Amino acid sequence: MALVLKKYLRLFSILVKTSFIADLEFRVNFSLRIFTDILWYFMQILSFEILFNYTPLIGDWDRYQMRVFLGVLFIVDSLYMVFIQENADRFADKVRKGELDFILAKPVSSQFMVSFQKIATASFTNLLIAIAFFLYTVAQLEGFQWYRLFWFFLVIPTSLIVIYTSRFFFSCLNLIFVKSESVQFLWYNCYKLGLRPDSIYFPTVKLILLTVLPMSFVASVPTRMILEPPNTYLICWSLVIGPLSLYLSNIFWRYCLRFYTSASS
Amino acid sequence: MKHWLKRNLAFARLGIQTNLEYRFNFFIDAIVQPAMTAGIEIFLWFALFAATNTETLNGYSKESYLAYVIWAAFVGRIAISWMYEHMMMDEIETGSINAIILRPMTFFEYYLSQLLGYKLVIFLFSSLVPLSIVLYFGLPTALNRLPLVALLIFYYLIFIHAMSFMTACLAFFLNRVRSFTLVKNFTIYIVSGELFPLDLLPTFWKKLFLNMPFAAGVYLPVGYLTNRISTELFLTGFINISIGLVVVLFLSYIIWRKGLRSYSGTGA
Repeated sequence: MALVLKKYLRLFSILVKTSFIADLEFRVNFSLRIFTDILWYFMQILSFEILFNYTPLIGDWDRYQMRVFLGVLFIVDSLYMVFIQENADRFADKVRKGELDFILAKPVSSQFMVSFQKIATASFTNLLIAIAFFLYTVAQLEGFQWYRLFWFFLVIPTSLIVIYTSRFFFSCLNLIFVKSESVQFLWYNCYKLGLRPDSIYFPTVKLILLTVLPMSFVASVPTRMILEPPNTYLICWSLVIGPLSLYLSNIFWRYCLRFYTSASS
Repeated sequence: MKHWLKRNLAFARLGIQTNLEYRFNFFIDAIVQPAMTAGIEIFLWFALFAATNTETLNGYSKESYLAYVIWAAFVGRIAISWMYEHMMMDEIETGSINAIILRPMTFFEYYLSQLLGYKLVIFLFSSLVPLSIVLYFGLPTALNRLPLVALLIFYYLIFIHAMSFMTACLAFFLNRVRSFTLVKNFTIYIVSGELFPLDLLPTFWKKLFLNMPFAAGVYLPVGYLTNRISTELFLTGFINISIGLVVVLFLSYIIWRKGLRSYSGTGA
């Protein structure tokens, strides 16, 4: 087990290195990507700040609590940008051009290779910005108990797993359907549900977003870990749903691979 | 003139046919995406009005905001160009533009007519959804204004295409330019009023954005349709687009000329 883990960690570090070299090749694009993400953060902050000029609360949270929510969202989103987005975006091309053949032939987990072959190193900068913003928002909270960060860090991996597995599920559909660009947009719309605090939704929708389509784990649940006393149910559920989603994603990947006809052969 | 019209109608038909070929894609693009966006925004506005416990916000009722977000999600989807901008960039990056510039037509009109054809179909299909929602829930919408609103949106699309063309022309000089599209479209998303109605902004920003052509993409048409703005203000949209169009076309022409001179026809 330790040997396997070591092998994958080594492989991952090589992938980071090659991705960084590849990204630096197009420097204008590299810088613009950082700027684009900052613009997106700005958009999210602006939309809530403007609304808070007219209301004291949105859902359960006031302006300061909403800023913490945005800080959490930016961290999770930048992690998604670094590790997942580019690979998921390129997956359809790999299937169509038959590049998946080379990945399947490699003596490593094909799901791992497909998911983490390219790391968006430009987005590391955004991760740092997101962390700085998050720490700033948390420091603004009155009487904040720093021990709550422990629960937050416990839930964050689940957030990333939920985004990864949901996106991966939609990417896998490329193996079944020939043209499924819009299906990928459909994922983005599901993801959008997680970009808003879950307290704005009706109870039924909220329940769906915690269970079947667990987009509340994107930012709402981690934020609750910081703003509210620890919720045992949510913590336990997050420890279950993460591994469960990973397991199901692997089953679905292997199922979808049966439909792959290898375009290049 | 007759030849020009015939040619461009053929391009528009091509745009329609290509996009209707994959119906599932089209369905998600025209219906599901804007419906989900509108749905999420409706939840947000419900929560907002529940928290304030008032009937109006900044002078407008809850129904007025709901009508705005429903229409904004659909109009915003129509008044933007992602796909054709990426296609133009790809043509330049890969060198397949050679096949187009040799033909008796312009690169600009080839994609403009396709974009307009495609957007026309999207408009016809997707507007049925907000239309049925506002009629069912009795949300404020002046349906008699819809033809004029459609005219403004399609005029705005010509401006948006000119912006796309200018952005795509950067591919003559840089290897990867897709990030420019993201930056441009994110900015448009804010200043057009799709993110939130522009009247919620402080006066300075509101005035500034209203004097830009981008407000004609979402805020002016949707505001006019939902009775938020006057006819005079709505009509300024046509003027702002015209000014913007002259500026952007001029800049595009310069970049295009310079780009063609530096272009070596790789991939031909």
